[in-house]
Amino acid sequence: MANHSTTPRPATVAAVNRRIRRGRIEPIIFHTFNTIFMVVLVIVTLYPFLNTIVVSLNAGNDTIRGGLYLWPREFTLQNYKAVFVSGTIYNAFWVSVARTVLSTLLNLFLTTMLAYTLSRREYVFRKPITFIFILTMYFNAGLIPGYFLMKDLHLINSFWVYVIPSMISAFNMIVIRTYIGSISESLVESARIDGAGDFKIFWQIIFPLCKPVLATIALFVAVGAWNSWFDAFIYTSSRQELSTLQYELMKLLSSSMNANNNPSVAAGAGMTQGAAAQMVTPLSIRASVTVVASVPILLVYPFMQKYFVVGLNVGSVKE
Amino acid sequence: MDETLTKDRTGRKSKKEKKMTWSLIKSQSQLIYMSVPLLAYIVLFAYVPIWGWTMAFQDYKPARSFSDQKWVGFKHFEFLFKDDSFLQVLRNTLAMSVINLILGFTTAIILALLLNEIKKVFWKRTVQTISYLPHFLSWIIVTGIVATSLASDGIVNDVLLKLNLIKEPIQWLSEGKYFWGIVGASHVWKEVGWNTIIYLAAMSAIDPALYEAADIDGASRYRKMLHITLPGIKPTIIILLIMSIGHILEAGFEVQYLLGNGLVLDWSQTIDIFVLKYGLAQGNYSLATAAGIFKTVVSVTMLLFANWMAKRLGEERLL
Amino acid sequence: MGGTSKTWLRLGTILLLSLSVVLSGCSGGNAKPSGNNTPEQTATGNNDGKVEPFEISIFIGEAGQQPTPDNKIYKKIKEETGATFKFEFLAGDIDQKLGVMIAGGDYPDMMTGNTKLTAAGAYIPLEDLIEEHAPNLKKHYEKYWNMMKDPNDGHIYILPNYGVLNADPASNWYAGPAFWIQKAVLEDAGYPQVKTLDEYFDLIAKYKEKYPTIDGTPTIGFEILNYDWRNWSLFNAPQHLIGHPNDGGVVVKDGKAEIFADKDYAKRYYQKLNEMNAAGLVDKEAFTQNYDQYMAKISSGAVLGMFDQHWNFQTAEESLITQEKLERTYIGLPLVYDTSIRDHYKDRPALNLNNGFGISVNAKDPVKIIKLMDRLIEEDWQKILSWGIPDEDYYVNEEGRFMKTQEQRDNFNDGTWKLANKADAWFKFAPKMEGYFSDGNSTDAAAQPEEFKAGLKPYDRQFLEAYGFDSPVDFFSEAPENDIAYPAWSVDLVDGSEAKIVNTKQNELSTKYLPKAILAKPADFENVWNEYVSEIRKLNIKAYEDRINEVLQWRRDTWSVK
Repeated sequence: MANHSTTPRPATVAAVNRRIRRGRIEPIIFHTFNTIFMVVLVIVTLYPFLNTIVVSLNAGNDTIRGGLYLWPREFTLQNYKAVFVSGTIYNAFWVSVARTVLSTLLNLFLTTMLAYTLSRREYVFRKPITFIFILTMYFNAGLIPGYFLMKDLHLINSFWVYVIPSMISAFNMIVIRTYIGSISESLVESARIDGAGDFKIFWQIIFPLCKPVLATIALFVAVGAWNSWFDAFIYTSSRQELSTLQYELMKLLSSSMNANNNPSVAAGAGMTQGAAAQMVTPLSIRASVTVVASVPILLVYPFMQKYFVVGLNVGSVKE
Repeated sequence: MDETLTKDRTGRKSKKEKKMTWSLIKSQSQLIYMSVPLLAYIVLFAYVPIWGWTMAFQDYKPARSFSDQKWVGFKHFEFLFKDDSFLQVLRNTLAMSVINLILGFTTAIILALLLNEIKKVFWKRTVQTISYLPHFLSWIIVTGIVATSLASDGIVNDVLLKLNLIKEPIQWLSEGKYFWGIVGASHVWKEVGWNTIIYLAAMSAIDPALYEAADIDGASRYRKMLHITLPGIKPTIIILLIMSIGHILEAGFEVQYLLGNGLVLDWSQTIDIFVLKYGLAQGNYSLATAAGIFKTVVSVTMLLFANWMAKRLGEERLL
Repeated sequence: MGGTSKTWLRLGTILLLSLSVVLSGCSGGNAKPSGNNTPEQTATGNNDGKVEPFEISIFIGEAGQQPTPDNKIYKKIKEETGATFKFEFLAGDIDQKLGVMIAGGDYPDMMTGNTKLTAAGAYIPLEDLIEEHAPNLKKHYEKYWNMMKDPNDGHIYILPNYGVLNADPASNWYAGPAFWIQKAVLEDAGYPQVKTLDEYFDLIAKYKEKYPTIDGTPTIGFEILNYDWRNWSLFNAPQHLIGHPNDGGVVVKDGKAEIFADKDYAKRYYQKLNEMNAAGLVDKEAFTQNYDQYMAKISSGAVLGMFDQHWNFQTAEESLITQEKLERTYIGLPLVYDTSIRDHYKDRPALNLNNGFGISVNAKDPVKIIKLMDRLIEEDWQKILSWGIPDEDYYVNEEGRFMKTQEQRDNFNDGTWKLANKADAWFKFAPKMEGYFSDGNSTDAAAQPEEFKAGLKPYDRQFLEAYGFDSPVDFFSEAPENDIAYPAWSVDLVDGSEAKIVNTKQNELSTKYLPKAILAKPADFENVWNEYVSEIRKLNIKAYEDRINEVLQWRRDTWSVK
C-alpha cells in the first residue's frame, strides 16, 4: 500500500484544486459543526446529573419548591448524612464490590471462551448451542420457578446467588463473537499449524486481541452487577450482612418515601410541632442516593476507554 | 476504489459443513470441553425453570403445591386477548418500541461516527464519559426533569416562545399525539451515550491502513465514514438490530407510567403496564405468565424472521 | 501489549481466586448466624439469670430503616425480657416478595398483616394463645374481639396496631380529607364562615382577581392532583359534599353500598369544576403534573385551594412554614353542597384491620412472642414506647403533665435521632394504647393539649382566635358514632376477583374521563359526562358493590356484640 503515495493517479487540475480546497475549508466547517454539536451534547447530557448533584446538596425543605437548576439555594450536607448515618451501607459497599469484580472476571472469561467456540465455523455443535443461548434472551420463566431453582441449589441467603446465575450473557456472547469474526482467520490457522489446540488459541491469541470488546463487555457486566438490587431483594433480604449497596440505598429511599406517605406518621409533625425539623425529603434523598450509588461505577468507564483506541490490534486484523 | 473499501467479511468463504462423525467430534474435543459445560449451565439456569409456564394454564396460587393447582386451560390468554383495551395496548407497545428502535439506533450510530472524528483524545474521552452519565440516573429522576422541562414555564416552552415559534405555552404532556415522541426522545437522552460504547469498540477493529489508503486517494471525510467506518461496524449494527427486533414487545413500563396521565391514557398504556395492573397487582401470576409466553412467541418469530431477512440480504446474521 | 494483557489477566485470576476463598467463608450454606444486627449476644447480667435471651425475626411489609445496634429502647426491652428483634423491611414490590415467600414457605417468626399471607395460611390463630398467656392483650382487645376475626374462617390472625381507643380522642391535628384554603384568603375576606362549595369558589375567585400574582408567581385558584395512586384529590370529593364520610369508592346509604362516580351528585361537582376551569380558576397543568410538581406549586404559596388529604401535602406546608409564609399555609374546610347537609369529613378512628403483627406458622416459640407482646402493652412500657424515657425525651411538670422542650420536640422529628432512641419499627405495628394513660396524659405526644398550645405559632394563634377556635379541628363537625361496618374502604376485594378487576377498570375510566370532562368547553361537558357514565355502566359494577355489601353485612352480623 505504501507505493500508492509514490505513484499518484493522474488527475485533472480541477480535481486537484477541488481536493485542495476541500482539504482546507471542509475540515474547518466540519470541525466547527462537530464541536458545536458535541458542546450541546455535553450540556444536555451533563445537566441531569449536575442537577441531581445540586438537589443532593440542597436542603430538602427548600428543594420541594422546585426551580433548582445549576446551583444549590440552601447548601447542606444533610442528605448525605442521612445516607451515611446508616451503619449498614459500609458492609453493603464491600459486598457490592466483591460481586461486581467476581461477576466481571467470570463473565469475561466464560463468555469469551464460549464466543470463541461458537465463532469456529467448523464446530459441529455451533448452531444448536448458539440457538439455545440466543433463545434465553427472549423468555423468562418467571419469578417463582426461579426462586424454587435457587432454593434447590441452596443459593437462597448465599452470596453466590449474586454471581452464579449470571455468569454468561447471550447478548455479550454474540457481541464478542461478532468481534472475533473481524479478527484475521490466518492467525488461528497459523497457530494451528504450529500445533496449538483450541484452548491455547483462545487463551493466547483471541483473548488478548479482543481487548476493546472485552473492555466494553466488562463495563456492561460491571455496571449491571453493580446496579442490580433485585436479587438481593428476592434471595438474600433476610440476611443483612449480604445486602448490597444498591439494595441498602433503595431501602433508605423507600423508607423516606414511606415516612412521607403515612398519615399516622405525618400526624405527629406539622403545625403542632412548629417548624418541622424534617430537612430530608424523598426528593433530596433520591438525589444523594443516586450520587452515592453511581459515582463508584462511573469511574470504570474512563479506565476502560484506553482500550477503545482505533487500530489497537494492527496486523492482527483481517486482510 | 470503492470496491476495495467496501469489501467486508460478507464475502468470506465459509467452510463447508462437514458430516458429523466420531472422528470429527474427537478432533473438536477441546471446543466441546470449552462449550458443553456452559451449555449444561444455561440449560439448568434458564431452561429448567420453564416448567413454570404451566402456571399460565392454571389459577396458580403460590401457597398450593403443584399437584393441588387448578387447571384452567386458556382462560388467562382469553382474558388477555379479549380485553377491550388489548389491541390499543398492543398498538402503543409496538409504536413506542419501533420509535425507540429507530431513534436509538440512528442516534447512537451517528454519535459514534461523530465521536470517531474527534482528533483530540482528551476531548473525545470527556464527551464520551459525559454523554453516558444519564444512563446511571433512574427513570424517576429523568422523567422528573423531562416533566419540569415540558411544563408551561419549562425550558422547552421558553425557548419556543423566545424563538416566536409558538404563541403560548404548549401542554406537551396533555396531548396523546406528542406522547410517543416524548418517550422516544427521553430514551435517546438517557441512553444515546451508553449505546455508542459498543460501536466505538467495534470501530477499534477497523484496520487503520484502510484510512491511510483513503487519505492518499484524497477521499473526503464523508466518503471515509460511509465507505470505511460504517462498513467496518456494519456486522455489529446488523447483529444488534436483529437482536433488538426480537425485543419488539419490550417497550417498558416505567417511563410510560411516570410520564403518563389520564389525558394520554389511550397512548401511554403498554402491555407491561396492563400485566402489572391485572396480573401482579391482583396476585395473578398466571396472567403475567400467559403474557410472558405470548411475548416470547412473538419475539422468537420476529427474531427468526429478522435473521432470515439478513441471510437473504447476504448480511451478517445471528444464527 | 501482549505482555501487559497477560499481567492484567494473571492479576485478575489471582484476585478472583482470593476473593472466592474469602467469600466462600461467608456464604457457607443457609445456616443463619443468629442476631447479626445486635452486637450484644449474651444475656445481660443484672437479671439473676431469669431472662433467657431469644431472637424474633420479623418481616415488615413496608419500607423502613434498621434501628441502630445500640438503640436505647431495644436495649431496655432486651434487658427486661431477653428479646431482641431482627427486622427485615420491604423495599421493592410487595406482591413479588410475598409471591416467593409464600411459594417457598419461607416465613420469619412474625409478619405484619397482609391479606395475601392470611389467604395462604401463613399465620397461626391467636385466640387460644391470648386466652392462655396474655391477660393484658385480652383486656386491651376485649371490646374489639369479634371485629378482629377473619371473615373467612373466624380466627384471629392479626393484632390491629391502631384503632383501639380507651377514650374519645381529643385531637388537635387533622390529617384527613378536606377542601383546603389558604389562611390568607379567609383573612382577606374577614374570616367568613365557609360552608358550601359555591361559597368556597366565590372566595377563591375574588381573591384571585384581587391578587393575580403572589410573590411574582401567577395565582392558581384551585389545584387537583391525580398522579399514580394519589387519585383521591380528583375522585373522592362528591361523597363528602353530600355529607358522607370517606368510604373510598362507594357511598353507604341505609346500609347499602353503591358507587357514586356516575351519580348526579358527582356530576354536580365535576360540572362545577368544569365551570371553574372555564373561569380560569383550575390549574392548566393539573392533570399532567406529577407529585413533585404539585408539591412545588403548593410550596410556592401561589395555590389558593385544593381537595386533598392533609398528610399528602404536609411536606409542602412545612416548606411554607420554613419560608415564614404562614399566611400561605392551609386550613381544612368540610364543605357540603348546601347548608342543610351536616358535614362528615372527620370520622372516629376505626379498628385498623389487617394491619399490625401476626405470628407465622414457622415461629419457633409463639408463647414467648405473645408473652412479650403482653408485657409491652402494659402502661409502663407504653409510656416508654410512645413518649420515651422521662427526663431524657420528655419531662413531667408540677401538675404531673408530660411536656417536651423544643429540643426534645425537634428530636422526635429527626429520623436519624429516632433510629437510635425510639423503637418505632416495633411500636408502629405493635398493639398500642390510644387515648389517655391512667394519669390523664395523652398516649400520643402530639395530642397532648399543652404540647399543642406550646408549639402554636403566633400567626396561627391569632387566626384561630379570629374564629374563636382552639385548633383547626374545630372547623369540622364532631364525628358521630361510626356505623358498625364502617369503613367500606377496608373491605378486602380479593385479588383477581371480578370485584377487584371491575374496580381497577372503573378507576381507569375515571382517570381518563374526569380530566376530559373538567377541561371540556362548558357546552361539551354534558357529552363527555354521558360518555363516561355509559362506559362505567358497561362494567359489571354490581360485582364490586355486591362484594362490599357482602362483607358489610358480615360485619354487622359478627361485630354487633360490641
